Amino acid sequence: MPTDSLADLRPCLGYPAPQQRTLDNGCPVTLLPLAEASVACLQFWCQAGSWREQSGEAGIAHFLEHMVFKGSDGLPAGAFDHRVEAVGGQSNAATGFDDVHYHVLLPPEGLSLALELLPRLVLTPGLQEQDFQLERQVVLEELAQSEDQPEEVAFQQLLALGCGQHPYGRPILGTREDLQGMTPAAMGAFQSRHYRADRCAVAIGGRFDPEVVLHQLQSGPVGELPATTTAEAASAGLAVAPGRHRVHLPRLESARLLMLWAAPPAKAQQQLSGLDLWTTALAEGRSSRLVKRLREELQLVESIDLELHPLEDGSLMVLEAVCEPSQLEAVAQEVETLLQQAAAGMSQAELARARRLLEHGHRFSLEAIGPLTQMLGQTSLSRRLQSFDEPLQRLASWNSDSLKPLAAALDPSLACILEVLPL
Amino acid sequence: MSPTIIWLDHSFGGIHAARLVLPHGSAMDPQGGAGMHQLLAGSLTRGCGDLGAVAFAEHIETLGGSLRSDTSDDRLVLALKCVSTDAPQLLPLLLEMVETPHLQDEQVRLEQDLNLQSLQRMQEDPFALAHEQLRLLLYGSGTYGHDPLGRRDELEGIDPEAIRHAARALPCHQATMVISGPADEPLQRLVQERISCWQASAGVRPQLGSISANNWAGVGADTEQSVLMLGFRTVPIHAPEALALRLLQVHLGVGMSSRLFQSLRETHGLVYDVGAELALRELESPFIWHLSTSAEQAVAALDALLAEWQQVLQAPLPEASLELARAKLRGQEALGRQTGAQRAERTALCLSLGLPGDYHQRAMEWIETISATDVLEAARRWLQHPVLSACGPAASLSALQSRWQQVVPPQRSAAAAR
Repeated sequence: MPTDSLADLRPCLGYPAPQQRTLDNGCPVTLLPLAEASVACLQFWCQAGSWREQSGEAGIAHFLEHMVFKGSDGLPAGAFDHRVEAVGGQSNAATGFDDVHYHVLLPPEGLSLALELLPRLVLTPGLQEQDFQLERQVVLEELAQSEDQPEEVAFQQLLALGCGQHPYGRPILGTREDLQGMTPAAMGAFQSRHYRADRCAVAIGGRFDPEVVLHQLQSGPVGELPATTTAEAASAGLAVAPGRHRVHLPRLESARLLMLWAAPPAKAQQQLSGLDLWTTALAEGRSSRLVKRLREELQLVESIDLELHPLEDGSLMVLEAVCEPSQLEAVAQEVETLLQQAAAGMSQAELARARRLLEHGHRFSLEAIGPLTQMLGQTSLSRRLQSFDEPLQRLASWNSDSLKPLAAALDPSLACILEVLPL
Repeated sequence: MSPTIIWLDHSFGGIHAARLVLPHGSAMDPQGGAGMHQLLAGSLTRGCGDLGAVAFAEHIETLGGSLRSDTSDDRLVLALKCVSTDAPQLLPLLLEMVETPHLQDEQVRLEQDLNLQSLQRMQEDPFALAHEQLRLLLYGSGTYGHDPLGRRDELEGIDPEAIRHAARALPCHQATMVISGPADEPLQRLVQERISCWQASAGVRPQLGSISANNWAGVGADTEQSVLMLGFRTVPIHAPEALALRLLQVHLGVGMSSRLFQSLRETHGLVYDVGAELALRELESPFIWHLSTSAEQAVAALDALLAEWQQVLQAPLPEASLELARAKLRGQEALGRQTGAQRAERTALCLSLGLPGDYHQRAMEWIETISATDVLEAARRWLQHPVLSACGPAASLSALQSRWQQVVPPQRSAAAAR
């Protein structure tokens, strides 16, 4: 029978403690039953993101996510969507660098149906030859659509320049060449290599009976998943190659300044929490340093953003400024000056403001069952399940002095810089 | 009539969400002044009452609140989210933004410049290009004929004085305020007293121009894909047929079980992105069927789309399809009411449009009585005269145009369409 884990999880922020269970094969299941909820959400997570792709497989993780919806034994293409939507549910999936997840959000009465169908769909995909050919066309259309957006093209070039041979430098959608060469057999091999009990996680939030859903999971395809037999080859970790590059793109109307930095991996949660405070103080809201100076005072940019993306093999920080092509040089200089000044630290007032924005953003994100379950699924998969107020405690632990050295991570001399201009 | 204020008590996690909705959407933009109300909405966040632009931003951000002010076609919406302990400080600020906005030249000019740059950047997106032309085909240069951001040449010419003039119409009896979160009595009284002093008139209501005599527009772009948008000008949200058309839109375009997704993507593999949108509005609402596909198969995709259109006009939906559409609509209703902000927004928009606050719940009962024949009749009445807007490479556009004109001749006049 599924066992309880010993994780120290407490009730907080209006929610009971999440229940962490483990199926007999080692697959973690995290449950958040809420008697008052009007919906239920089921999420299946797996570490089979594009990071796991090998030579010739660029795009296979995402293509597989598409193929899953083409059905499995006894569940023809479209049957899953039809049955879930007929009970008022919605389903979708997303592939990232590190992981892939499938989710269903529906009225509570439909959860048992979702628990019956989703694991079959995801874990025993049919991968029929004819469906494979047709869906490859759909994926190629998705790739073409993304390549028609100059902003997307610029961002992919930044990642390619900065991350070099690391898988994070490749588009998740893959390459035409690799996609054209893929076969159902190769996809099946990728699937069985990565969809393993110890590399998957299930999360369920909303109105349901925990014992009933656990039994349903244990006796279905999730409970039958084998564990990994071979260890994944160790990665050298992510490094970002500093440098300055320039590209001219067709159909670009506004220039972009893009900057990319490496940051500690997702497991370094305390460090990343400090960097969150820095990116917020620098670029979140009109009172932040970069927005205030570049947009409000100098009126050089239409927008400027600085985002931290936590990733397992090394996180990334990305700055994007949008401006008139004639202002690009001035923008680049001013941004570098402000980033260098960050080394002198942030004021008490800046820290208080950044902390509050992040704290409230976290509390706001807990309001709906979908994002709440997503947080549980992702942290279960990475074995970092924690109480809902844990991120708030990390934010509270920083002060101006301890934050000061962290600013070095945003030194412009460490960044891969891409200036993007119209043809 | 006096302003409507509603407190939705059910809340979670000590969060307040508020929506102040005013009948001043981009439909109210004057002739030659496309973009005025979005510029006004943005400028409202640049100082009011005792707070200058910088102090205003610092005040909100220091409290960790989230504030937006935007226009849609029909309405100007101020949206606030904050922790409940900050509500007594931040809620009155929403009223001040409308009552005593500063709208200083320099701040309006800055906002204007940002909007001009956003409009310029939108030109990078083939969907935005196709949509811009579709609006012109359906509505001409007047009401609903442009994105709320406006048109570059018209927005450039708007003077800050015109923004200050337009702002005087905002504090009006047609305002609707909905707050989700525990009702605090002094705060409730304050909001009530302030709003009840607002003026009676919201200004002259917008009217629609006649539909264009053209039914085709092509925008050349050096892209891999062509974007196709098939559009129809249909009914106001109040019309009896609105829910029948909503059921049809859900059948065609919502979810992976939808008709367009199943036919164009799952059966033919022609597209990644396909859908149908019906943005129900105060005046005649646009119903848009859209897709993007590689330029060389654009004509095949158009044929497939037109076959679906013919089908919709020819035969009633099978009962199972209609029941599936009802179920999806019920699901949307349940899933779309999860957060306080979602509930406040839905309620406020309905009340502002003169519908009951629980319109969406009541609609779930009404859709049970709508038959396949009702849907067919609504389709035959409102979907007879499509327009097509396309964006893509020149060769694909000319192939699309000649196929389109074979199937849907362009001689239709506005009178014939109504």
